[in-house]
Amino acid sequence: MSAGFFLIHAKPNRFWSAGLSWVLFVMSIGAYLWVSDARHRDNAEDRVTPTVAQMGAGMLKAVMEPAEEDEAAGEAHGWYDRVSRSMLWKDTRATARRFFFSLALLIPAVILGLHMGLFPFVGEFFLRFVLFFDKIVALSLLPILFIAFGIDELSKIMLIVIGVTPTIILDSFNLTKGVPPEQVVKAFTLGAGDFDVAYRVVLKQIAPRVLNSVRLNLKAVMLFLFAGEMIASTDGLAYRIALLRRHMGMDVIIPYVLWVALLLFLVDWGMRVLNRRLHPWFTEA
Amino acid sequence: MALIRVEDVFVAYGTPSRAVLAGINLEIEEGSFVCVLGQTGCGKSTLLRLVLGCEQAMRGRILIDGMEHPQPDPSRGYVPQKYSLFPDKSVLDNITFGPEVSEFGLFGRMTPAFFRRRRQLREVAREFIQRIGLRESDAAKYPHQLSGGMQQRVAIAQALIMRPRILLMDEAFSALDSGTRREMQGLVRTLWAETGTTVLFVTHNIDEALRLGTRVVVLAKEGPDAGSRVAMDLTVPDPCREEEIPELMRRLEDGVLQAG
Repeated sequence: MSAGFFLIHAKPNRFWSAGLSWVLFVMSIGAYLWVSDARHRDNAEDRVTPTVAQMGAGMLKAVMEPAEEDEAAGEAHGWYDRVSRSMLWKDTRATARRFFFSLALLIPAVILGLHMGLFPFVGEFFLRFVLFFDKIVALSLLPILFIAFGIDELSKIMLIVIGVTPTIILDSFNLTKGVPPEQVVKAFTLGAGDFDVAYRVVLKQIAPRVLNSVRLNLKAVMLFLFAGEMIASTDGLAYRIALLRRHMGMDVIIPYVLWVALLLFLVDWGMRVLNRRLHPWFTEA
Repeated sequence: MALIRVEDVFVAYGTPSRAVLAGINLEIEEGSFVCVLGQTGCGKSTLLRLVLGCEQAMRGRILIDGMEHPQPDPSRGYVPQKYSLFPDKSVLDNITFGPEVSEFGLFGRMTPAFFRRRRQLREVAREFIQRIGLRESDAAKYPHQLSGGMQQRVAIAQALIMRPRILLMDEAFSALDSGTRREMQGLVRTLWAETGTTVLFVTHNIDEALRLGTRVVVLAKEGPDAGSRVAMDLTVPDPCREEEIPELMRRLEDGVLQAG
């Protein structure tokens, strides 16, 4: 303890570093349980802070039973059938489809950024416009999108594309600019053509950093996706959360929020593992 | 006829523009090993980039074998001080990159002919790996797993596998410690003698210039705001004997200092 408990030179041992990182989790869960218990003692019908048992029951219902709007579809047979027709599965599938579709649309953005960074004429043509576009608050475009594209899938996807694409384009552009010029010159002296340089030298080098930048932007993708779903949708995780808010269905909302966080964490973790597998040469962070 | 002809080349940078090179004239014979020596900021790297074709002279021209080359191409190999290896490729792939990329286009890589050729190229690359003094097990390593000296060895092999007529080296050993630097100098001299490539080697180290070159060209500014000119052009006896080096070094030092 000579180094000082809270000071820079302190070296927490295993016990402290493992213990401290969980303290806030335990405290928040404890605080929630305490508040929930207190409120339920006060009013047994309380809906704001459901108990763990209530949330479990709500979630079980979400996993095992179809959503209200689908109840007419008929009785399900067997366990698999029940889950695949359940409310949670339906919402997750709808959100995931939009999510991965938007991610796929980021690939052209990366390619555009690469070309802007390497080919001066392409850069001059696009850069100012993308910089301007980047400053538009995507959510402020939402009404325009709904008017222009209707309230179906296209406008939701467009919202994500408009919101996230400029960032990805500019990021890939900057990463391309960051590749040392020696690399490009060397490739030319080795007989590479312009497109060999673009795809075999520069794109391969920036790929892990681009993937990291997409990972950082997953939050933004989800944000725009949820905004679109909450305002105009008939399915999806955010639609359900917005719908349940109307009858204070906190017993499902809270597990849904945690489920979304878990899914996003898994996607991020998967991309990190993929990045390490695909680019074993990549050393920083 | 000289392989490289530099004719009255003038280059200025910045606003207000300051001359960097003010009327350089040089003729470099095929098969020679020319070291360009000068202090920091004298424009020796600019001269190299002009020969490479990454930069254009504002006045004058540079002829290689009688032709102007406005872009870097495989006739001139390049070994910079750093960032010469592709970090995403293994040592073996770095060495075979040149022939692969120049013989097969982006889609040619999917043909069976490509894989046959790549097997041959890997054999050649393995020979190179031995010649430059790396172990067989280094072939699969990535550049960041190698030391600075090893990286430069691979960079030289990477350039030489293309059999360039001219090899341009820009402070290629300046980031290395003196022991490694000596070894690299020996290696480059050996490879130069074996391949007969014309080498243009830019350095600020007088000792290095004398140990490597058959000819040392000193660039120096004539005044604080003036551009550089060729201040001295010295033919080094080949092989340069150890006891001659101090005398030559003194002459070169005088040349660099007087002009600066």
